[in-house]
Amino acid sequence: MLSLGVQTKNVVDDKDPAAGFAMLHRAGFSCVDFSLNYYLTNTSLYKQERNDFFDQSEAELERYFAPHVQGAKEAGIRIHQMHMPYPLYIPGGKQELNEYLWQVVAPKSLKVGEIFSCRYMVVHGFKLARHLGSEEAEWQQTESLLHAILPRAREMGIMICMENLYTGTGGHIVEGTCCDVRKVVERIDRINDQYGAEVLGFCLDTGHANLVGLHFEDFITKLGKRLKVLHIHDNDGVGDLHQIPFTFTKTRENKVSTDWDGFLRGLRTVGFDQVLSFETAPVLSAFPEELKEEVLHLIARIGRYFAEKVEERTYE
Amino acid sequence: MNIICSPIGVVNPSCPGNGVMDLKSAGFEHVLLDLAMCCSGYEFEYFGEPRKEEEEEEHDRIPVTEDPAGIASFFEKMTEACKREGLTFLIARAPYLLRDTKRTDLTPLLSQVQEACIRFCGQIGCKSLIIRPLFAGLSYGEEWQANHDYYLHLAQVAKEEKVMILLENQCRSMNGHLIRGICSDAVTAAEWVDELNREAGEECFGFCMDVGVCNLCGQDMHEFAMALGERIKAVVLRDCDGHQETALLPFTCTRSLEPQTDWLSLFRGLRAVGFDGELILSMGDTAAAFSPLLRPSLLSLGREMAGYFQWQIEIEKVLKTYSSIVLFGAGNMCRNYMKCYGEQYPPLFTCDNNQKVWGTMFCGLEVKPPAALKELPKDCGILICNTYYREIKKQLLEMGIEKDKIGFFNDEYMPSFHFDRLKEV
Repeated sequence: MLSLGVQTKNVVDDKDPAAGFAMLHRAGFSCVDFSLNYYLTNTSLYKQERNDFFDQSEAELERYFAPHVQGAKEAGIRIHQMHMPYPLYIPGGKQELNEYLWQVVAPKSLKVGEIFSCRYMVVHGFKLARHLGSEEAEWQQTESLLHAILPRAREMGIMICMENLYTGTGGHIVEGTCCDVRKVVERIDRINDQYGAEVLGFCLDTGHANLVGLHFEDFITKLGKRLKVLHIHDNDGVGDLHQIPFTFTKTRENKVSTDWDGFLRGLRTVGFDQVLSFETAPVLSAFPEELKEEVLHLIARIGRYFAEKVEERTYE
Repeated sequence: MNIICSPIGVVNPSCPGNGVMDLKSAGFEHVLLDLAMCCSGYEFEYFGEPRKEEEEEEHDRIPVTEDPAGIASFFEKMTEACKREGLTFLIARAPYLLRDTKRTDLTPLLSQVQEACIRFCGQIGCKSLIIRPLFAGLSYGEEWQANHDYYLHLAQVAKEEKVMILLENQCRSMNGHLIRGICSDAVTAAEWVDELNREAGEECFGFCMDVGVCNLCGQDMHEFAMALGERIKAVVLRDCDGHQETALLPFTCTRSLEPQTDWLSLFRGLRAVGFDGELILSMGDTAAAFSPLLRPSLLSLGREMAGYFQWQIEIEKVLKTYSSIVLFGAGNMCRNYMKCYGEQYPPLFTCDNNQKVWGTMFCGLEVKPPAALKELPKDCGILICNTYYREIKKQLLEMGIEKDKIGFFNDEYMPSFHFDRLKEV
């Protein structure tokens, strides 16, 4: 069966990481999406503030995460994927901070990935289309970043994965970088050809896709084997809520308003063989602490249902 | 570019005089012939079901779904009223199914109705007809073949009647959540239009870009327009909150002091493709909600709004009308002008009311006092690059500058932006 994963945030605590990994194992997960981005949050970065977490040397980072590595190993959990802090560039931000993000946070994130033997690192593309005038010009900047980190990532055996993102106006979310699947495919293939190896892949975020009404089946089918990582979560089509799949309905008929069938058909068509990973940490802050483990069990149960559907010989 | 107004919420086809007069008084010259006014999505939905007695009494005509040729008589009064007022129908929209239709058996009926619509368009000299693609009951992968056959069948009639069929981007209802539907992928839509034209042997098909649908699907309209390019023959201009399908006056859906439609990407896209087709203002929900007493004012605003969109889309055309230009204002707007247009349309100088900056250089331009504007070459335009437009215009008129020489520049929807803004001196 396909492996199941979930974010570590709100489960794995730095004070006792082993306990969190053990809980995830009991719930039915064998993989995790290590929430590295929460060590330097986007909310603080957008305020042009930063902490000193990534000021630590690589050796210090290795010591810091040693209990996590040990805890995961003991629980039989594999660190399948990780999220690099974002954004890696703040439009109009201080030059010093932007240089720090690019020159310190990005390479040290890769180091953390290596510490965890993590295969996939999700990186956000820049959000600069408004200023630069086009998605193409925006991508050029993202590609510059990629070329700065890909050689080291390759040495470490880490594949960088781009993610479909959004932007917005007046509280209404609209598509951002990496939402055009044809461009995604062309760019991934071109860069991989350039490096003569599979150094770049894709992370499909189902919640982001739902917010901008992407056609799941078409998107996944066109992506094919370039799809390496999933951020599975649900929302109401309005806000990026990161909730459990099948949570939302829009009419009194109470039928699900996210196209999960299309998502599963797409995965089945392309023979998805990676990890069904849930990006549902916010669910755990909504439910009472006492129900956390049961909620994780439910998420894992949905994961098993997904796996069964993806791996069925014929899908209806 | 032709500016066209949708009659929804304004004109009652059975008693059209008042609404048509309002459209004319507001300054519109063209009206969308919205054929869905005679055959709603609900009529399709309940097609074949026995009608209740009270419905029979209410409608003194046979439904279009039962007699498609009856379209002409339904619109007789409206076409006459428009003719009287000198309003023309350059483009029409054919009836369509509900987004969440349960009917998957209506393709033959739709085909008959659309044929009748094409015939009617030909009869009254309407050159384009928006016909939405088939979607009901079609699975992923089946859409092209079904629509290929449908549109090519209609093309035979369209050729005879010299009517161009416009495909239109659609959203689909995922149990009430509107997501991307058929022709919302602009690259695929462009391929469809090209292949249909190739097989039809002439340019029978074009595309109508519905801004409301793009907004509901959270699409980047710059990229959307670029992918379709010159195939875009019409644009339906309407506002919505991005979640509910409505047709509101642009710039009226806002939150936190920002619009909920990404107008910037629309302007960039339509400029990039040099859009010069039919610009259809669709604000039926706003119009219907307004009191009939206020509707004339709303329509005047709507006309001005459509003109503003045309001006923004064609902003370079405006710059080309002057043999030379000077700017008024030495601030952010002037800086933005120089960033995006300074090289192609270089101003002679700029001027400013702020004495402190006279004689200095700003973005490569000498900053002069306003008095310098009195000695401009003939045919030199003055573009006001400051949001205090009316106040400055008044100042210039009082200085004795001819009205025709004064124009406005606007930097809200620029091709690109600086990352920072200058502080006031």
